[in-house]
Amino acid sequence: MIVNRLIKKAMKKAQGAQASLGQSESTNVSFESDKLKSVRSSQSTGMSIRIIVDGKIGSSHTTDMDDVDGVVARALEAAEFGSPAHFEFPGPQEGPDVKVYDDAVLPVTKGKMVRIGEEMITLVKEYNPHILLNAGASKSISNIQFANSAGIAYSTETTNFAVGVDGQWIRGTDILSAGHGFGWKKQEIDHVEIARKAIKLFKMAENIAPIKSGDMPVVFTPEGVNVLLLALILGLNGKRVFLGSSPLAGKLGEKIADEAFALTDNPLLDYANGSGTYDGEGVPHQVTPLIEHGLVKNFLYDLDTAARAGTKTTGNGIGCSPTNLVIKEGNTPFEEMVKNTKKGLLVHNVLGLGQGNPISGEFSVNVLLGYKIEKGEIVGRVKDVMLAGNTYDALKNIAAIGDKAEWAGGSLLTPPIQIARLSVVAK
Amino acid sequence: MRERIEKALPKSDAEYTEIRIENVTSSWANFRGEELDSIGSSKTLGGIVRALVKGGWGYATFNDLSALEDRVKEACNSARLVGEEKSRFAEVEPFVDEITATMEKDFRQISLSEKKSVIEEYNKIVLGYHDKVETSNVGYGDSFRKVWYGNSEGTHIEDERPDAGVSLSATARDGDNVQQGFESVAGSAGFQIIEGLQEKAEVAAKLAVDLLSAPPVTGGKYTVIINPRLTGVFAHEAFGHLSESDFVYENERLKELMVLGKRFGSDILNIIDNGTIRGLRGTQKYDDEGVRSRKNYLIKDGILVGRLHSRETAAKMGEEPTGNARAIGYQHQPIVRMTNTYIDKGDATFEDMIKDVNLGLYAIDMIGGQTSMEMFTFSAAYGYMVRDGKIAELVRDVVLTGNVFETLMNIDIISDAVEWPPVGGGCGKGGQSPLPVGLGGPYARIQNVVIGGRQQ
Repeated sequence: MIVNRLIKKAMKKAQGAQASLGQSESTNVSFESDKLKSVRSSQSTGMSIRIIVDGKIGSSHTTDMDDVDGVVARALEAAEFGSPAHFEFPGPQEGPDVKVYDDAVLPVTKGKMVRIGEEMITLVKEYNPHILLNAGASKSISNIQFANSAGIAYSTETTNFAVGVDGQWIRGTDILSAGHGFGWKKQEIDHVEIARKAIKLFKMAENIAPIKSGDMPVVFTPEGVNVLLLALILGLNGKRVFLGSSPLAGKLGEKIADEAFALTDNPLLDYANGSGTYDGEGVPHQVTPLIEHGLVKNFLYDLDTAARAGTKTTGNGIGCSPTNLVIKEGNTPFEEMVKNTKKGLLVHNVLGLGQGNPISGEFSVNVLLGYKIEKGEIVGRVKDVMLAGNTYDALKNIAAIGDKAEWAGGSLLTPPIQIARLSVVAK
Repeated sequence: MRERIEKALPKSDAEYTEIRIENVTSSWANFRGEELDSIGSSKTLGGIVRALVKGGWGYATFNDLSALEDRVKEACNSARLVGEEKSRFAEVEPFVDEITATMEKDFRQISLSEKKSVIEEYNKIVLGYHDKVETSNVGYGDSFRKVWYGNSEGTHIEDERPDAGVSLSATARDGDNVQQGFESVAGSAGFQIIEGLQEKAEVAAKLAVDLLSAPPVTGGKYTVIINPRLTGVFAHEAFGHLSESDFVYENERLKELMVLGKRFGSDILNIIDNGTIRGLRGTQKYDDEGVRSRKNYLIKDGILVGRLHSRETAAKMGEEPTGNARAIGYQHQPIVRMTNTYIDKGDATFEDMIKDVNLGLYAIDMIGGQTSMEMFTFSAAYGYMVRDGKIAELVRDVVLTGNVFETLMNIDIISDAVEWPPVGGGCGKGGQSPLPVGLGGPYARIQNVVIGGRQQ
């Protein structure tokens, strides 16, 4: 394997090294404004090396497979005055079983992908011919080789398949955008169901429902839960905790959320986007409970950060970022959350998330696709509405958690969540 | 490389074919807290073939250049699968040109250790500013992009696109209260622009510490005055994206909404996209379809007078190409993008803007913005309340929102000078991010802006 050559070359001067080589082929079919617009095929290669010399780390990357000498030389140059290493590269360890490859992806033809797009567009058009649609399908197959100087050497193949449809319905100066999509490492995706979900979002938005400013209960759909999660993802990052920029620093074991709230990092879910046997440092993946019964249980670590913080890596290298996040199901059916709400908001998609100071938990976003709930019913879509609050206050203020988790994208599995009160500013 | 491109192009049986190959060398160094977090460099070489057959596009992207002719055929095959109408693609004059970047201090000649020491000093300033500064994130990054572009009409362009920048971020903390201050500088002029930024490091740290004691802004509707950095984001988000014709050209209803001659603002409002202003990050002599960049008026005296085009959107709308088809890199096809977008100067002073405001907000510097065509949001780094015509207390978490068909009408005063702060960052669209763009403008006042936040 090329990666072994990289390691051998680097180890003439380095005391430790890891190398990876990625190769992938992908095909993508895309529809714009109801019509097939383009077909793309992509071939990509890249290799990366990270080395330790005299206790300092340097790294380098190239797309040129013939540049083995160059990529090693540049990593050595960087390591000369590199960042201090607080860890050693790990030896081989048995990894958990998780499915990341599906034989059915490769045989999918461009023609089949075109038909998937056409069928989704036809379904939405049957509901409403005035909606202008974009749609797409993509597939990819990747091979990754990984090796380090402590004896790890493996290669892995992964597949990916994704489909989506989104539309725009313009009435006067009102522009309504909605859609749905899903992607994971498996070919099996029910594109008819995806189109139906998109239709449902449009149906609920047929009327515009005026809403008055004020504090009110807010239900987040699984997609909408991202509004609440962003601060947590940043706050549970072990590097931010170690550096003190996370408000959760020093709060291990403390209660930060409602008793019913539980969040887990799970890279072992078959075919999920963030799944795999090993992390980017050759460490076996593991399931890490982050929040249980509202208490902070763990932060996410990579090798270097774990060593600095005096703890063990959670297999989230490099970068201490989550793989797949799973929020535990509660016991309230979604329909009941809506039925129990006299006046409130259902939030599906927002504009401006992450702008501002997300680590503090503060959010202030425009409700791009959201619905007014009145007397237990969804009565229409809201417009020109800002939703504001703080994730950490909201999590203590959970009114209900849905009894059924759904994928929101390919790496978040969550039920809908209702917060008792958030601030809504309307025009 | 030109020979390889010219040898491969004739293998195409499409109506139009182009090949773009890019060689990018880049380096980076990043401090988080007292320690260096990462340092390294990368070299990438790759390309894209784009083929047009009967109105359908085929793309093939690659890192392996050895099979260039096969990639051309692959793109043609894909295009044939798609095309079933007449191709429409605006005619432009073919160019043969070679552009050499001129940098006062060429960052490729500067060692990684020197790049590291420049930011090490800034990092020390941030961390040493105050004992409430908990940590820092200070990074340097550069990239030198050499682009070879050739198409089946005889255009061959070689272009060099350098970009270097520094970002300075301070995190201050007081118990659960965590605040950030941020400054950035980026541009194409060379390494010298990232030197001598000690003052900016201090400004970032001071802002983080000051924000610890600032209250969040109270949500509601305000008269808002925005500074040039924020005016740039506003022009970009509130209007610029809607002027990108790929959103419009096959969308009959949007065409009606965006018909030339329609009024979008009062007589004082002029919005311009100009890819030719020397030294700005959105400036390019040619776009990624080989079309010359130019100055394009989008709104003149409050009236919609133009929009941004690729060759395809221009042909389909019966307008001229504007040089706005841009790609962030070889893995992507060019799509319609802004270059340097700004509101043109007016004739007022800052004092004119605030003197008659009883309760308003002076919003300063940008964190970012996003648009959904009709709606947009943009976030200020911080703001001051304006009370009885005077600047009052500092406030945080300032996010402004609006509706493109209403908010532009509410701009009532514009100051008398356009500024171009050399900030970093970039624009995202269609999975292509960040694209370097120029954001600038004068000070502007907008009536009735909705600001998110909790109410009193």
